Amino acid sequence: MLKNLVSFISDKFKIKNDYPEQLSTDDIKLKEQNIDTSLKKNIETFERIYFIPDNTDVKIRHLFIPGINKKAAIIYISSIMDTKIIEETVIRPLQNNQHTTIEITNIISAESVSTAEKIKDALKEINKGSCALFIDGEDQVYLIGAANFQGRSIEKPENEVSLLGPKEAFNEKAMTNISLIRKKIKNENLIIEATTISKRSKDELYIVYVKDLVNEELLKNIKDRLNTIDMDIIQNLSILEQIIEERPKSIFPTILNTERPDRAAYFLEDGFIVLIMENSPSALILPATFWSFFHSADDRYQRFLYANFTRVIRGSALFITIFISAIYVSVTNYHAEMVPSDLLLAISATREKVPFPTFIEVLMMESAFELIREAGLRVPNPIGPTIGIVGALILGQAAVQANIVSPIVVIVVALSGLSSFAIGDISMNFAIRIIRFGMIIAGGVLGIYGMAAIFTIGLFYVVSIKSFGVPYLAPMTPKYISSNDTIFRKLTKNERFRPGYLKPKDVTKKAGDS
Amino acid sequence: MKKRRCKLLSIILLLLVLLSGCWDQKQVDKRAYVYAVGMDMADEENKFNITYLIVNPEYGSQVSSNTNESPQELITFETNDLMTSKNIANVVIAKEITYDLLRVVIVSEKLAKDKRFIRWMYDATKDREIRRDSYFIVTKENVSTFLKVNKPKLETRLDQYFELILKRGIDNGMIPDMDLHRFFNITEADADLALGIYGTTQGNNEDTGKVEDQLLAGELKIKGETNATQFLGSALFKEGQMIGKLNAEETRITILLNDTLEMSDVLTTYPDPFDKDFRIAARLIKKQKNKVNMKIKNGSGEINVTIPLIIEILSDHSMVNYGRNAEKRKELKKKIEDNLSAKINDFVKKTQEEYKGEPFGWSLLSRRHFKTLSEYEKFDWMKTYPTMKVNVKVDVRFGEFGKQGEVPNLKRVRD
Repeated sequence: MLKNLVSFISDKFKIKNDYPEQLSTDDIKLKEQNIDTSLKKNIETFERIYFIPDNTDVKIRHLFIPGINKKAAIIYISSIMDTKIIEETVIRPLQNNQHTTIEITNIISAESVSTAEKIKDALKEINKGSCALFIDGEDQVYLIGAANFQGRSIEKPENEVSLLGPKEAFNEKAMTNISLIRKKIKNENLIIEATTISKRSKDELYIVYVKDLVNEELLKNIKDRLNTIDMDIIQNLSILEQIIEERPKSIFPTILNTERPDRAAYFLEDGFIVLIMENSPSALILPATFWSFFHSADDRYQRFLYANFTRVIRGSALFITIFISAIYVSVTNYHAEMVPSDLLLAISATREKVPFPTFIEVLMMESAFELIREAGLRVPNPIGPTIGIVGALILGQAAVQANIVSPIVVIVVALSGLSSFAIGDISMNFAIRIIRFGMIIAGGVLGIYGMAAIFTIGLFYVVSIKSFGVPYLAPMTPKYISSNDTIFRKLTKNERFRPGYLKPKDVTKKAGDS
Repeated sequence: MKKRRCKLLSIILLLLVLLSGCWDQKQVDKRAYVYAVGMDMADEENKFNITYLIVNPEYGSQVSSNTNESPQELITFETNDLMTSKNIANVVIAKEITYDLLRVVIVSEKLAKDKRFIRWMYDATKDREIRRDSYFIVTKENVSTFLKVNKPKLETRLDQYFELILKRGIDNGMIPDMDLHRFFNITEADADLALGIYGTTQGNNEDTGKVEDQLLAGELKIKGETNATQFLGSALFKEGQMIGKLNAEETRITILLNDTLEMSDVLTTYPDPFDKDFRIAARLIKKQKNKVNMKIKNGSGEINVTIPLIIEILSDHSMVNYGRNAEKRKELKKKIEDNLSAKINDFVKKTQEEYKGEPFGWSLLSRRHFKTLSEYEKFDWMKTYPTMKVNVKVDVRFGEFGKQGEVPNLKRVRD
């Protein structure tokens, strides 16, 4: 009986294999071969690899070259290249050729022509948007670069808005991004090194640095880290960031992700290293300190006093976000004597008819706020305003009128929510918002004492973090030679040093001093 | 293995926090806030009557403006001490009693004069919730009646009223800036006299014929419709027992002589030296500390005090035109200095003869003249003070003479 049951169940759970596994060893072997001298055989091979004619955008065009009297064929992927270039610089010159002894490379008028002897190499280039030209009787293939991937043009930055700074943002084309940086640093020392980081999709990563500034060991450290990556696909920088960071589970980000080329250029000039990749509308800046997340691009462009005023506002917003809800919870639960009597009575009066304890009340409202935020982000554009109205109205006013929450809690939560937006960097913003919940719990369990304890532990942690060997709070602690651009910044003309924690080759910024 | 231990440790830590935390968590809205505590003599021996003034947070707030609840609750009952009374009060009060908001401690004169008063008073140092900066007030009548009659017309709640009127009185120098901490401090030092704010609701309808400076709470005649409560003058404590009352003028002199007390907005009048029908109004400003010179010699001593004062003359009823007349100014200065020093010296003498102690904080200044503490203790400031020679001098400097310094020549105006 029991045996029957067991066999019945195991039968039910047996995986039925509708799609038997297939091995691709034949294909791999094929790709390892050299180009054959026979045009016909070559075309057959590539038709097989590219699955022509099922694969619609891979095109083969047969040609006859007069003059040298040879058959030829070109293979290209039409969706990722400029067919006009091919027509003008390859097809027409070949068909109009009258010379009898001329070399193929001299007939083609395209700007970049290379040759390959292995099928594998030819495939790599074709996949990148090159056009392959096969000539009957030659055991090599000519590769004409005419790549033209579709993408958007340069637009305004959306996350890092600046009032006075340049309005260009990175887009998804690596070459555009590099061009935007080169535009700002016109110097032969700006190096753009390319490496392939993924095994299958062959994603290219550009390591950008200024050669006579960057610390070689830091550069080596980063390159080593990149070389150890063992992944099939790394689609873009956001994913790469998660792979190369030192502490993936840490609450604080250690790599700065920016969409502003001016910011990237500024960091490059200070000796930082920038990573750029195809398909990423941003650049990674490493190493990153706490301050680089705290600062915004406008801090540079605004005048000394205004910039520092903004910093004060942002700094206080940071603390308001972390502490205000927690302080409200702990004061109303443990330290009622701390509050001025009028305020205490006001708080007490508003709470009179509320059924939940303050702790639950605040947690509820904070989660509701996070909900509005997340929903507002994902909601399709036409419905967007509705969410705002529903969120603000229902969760604010109606909840107060229904005596679910007290009006003071709405003020507190709104203040903490609003303040959290003052931290522009998305990663740091998340960190702060999560810490806020930790603080509320600490405040609810142990009052101000609990908050102080958590804050102290947090400080210990922040001090212990390193980003590619650079302490997270440098140059404030530990102290380094630098322009001391931490909470406040100096007058621009007084910023004489590059950050010493990077150990740059040239630490002084002024040409006259060095 | 390491990971498991880590998990276990974090669970234990979490449990520790969760189980040990929250034990003194108290919701703000689940408590009854006592704003003022009153202490009266009880019929029973060794007990006293306690009066709680519990404010209603809901009264006057925007959220529940349509409430019909009264602004405060007042209860009086017999108790053994300040702590157990919190429990007894819950027989009638629904919420947990807390002293978190306690700002005013009021004692009736009768109890303050009792020998046992200090024993009960020290309960205030025992309770964790009682703030040491609560105002210390002595009332002429029973506190229960004082609080019952006290009905401010313009302030919505009594807590606002107390906060404002005491602050103003202290600024004016009409009452001393005394809180529990200072009271305990002076009592424990056992060298000076402590003060208490004096107040009453029992008006005195007969005309005392005194100038406003010489009045005590309850003696000022005020007509019209207003609150019956008056705060004026101070109660004098010696060794934790009330021994007398100081009127407004004496209170101000005390504040002038005592550099630890402050007043900031003092307006007063002096007899006009040029026309005895009038008095001149003046603003007293004290910017510098007193110069106190002490000579302590075997068993007795001599104290010389100079009070630097800036006086602004605000009225000129005798039309003397002080701003333009250096001679008259000189004379006025001398007259005011004489008048003030005479008054102060009289009061000092009174403290020496009548109260046998001083509320001027001089014992603190005297300590530096002793080499060791035991020497100071042997000297016994309280006992020696009445035998000392004290001389107070006032050093007047004139400020401005009103917004417009000049007054017209009367003869020419009337012509």
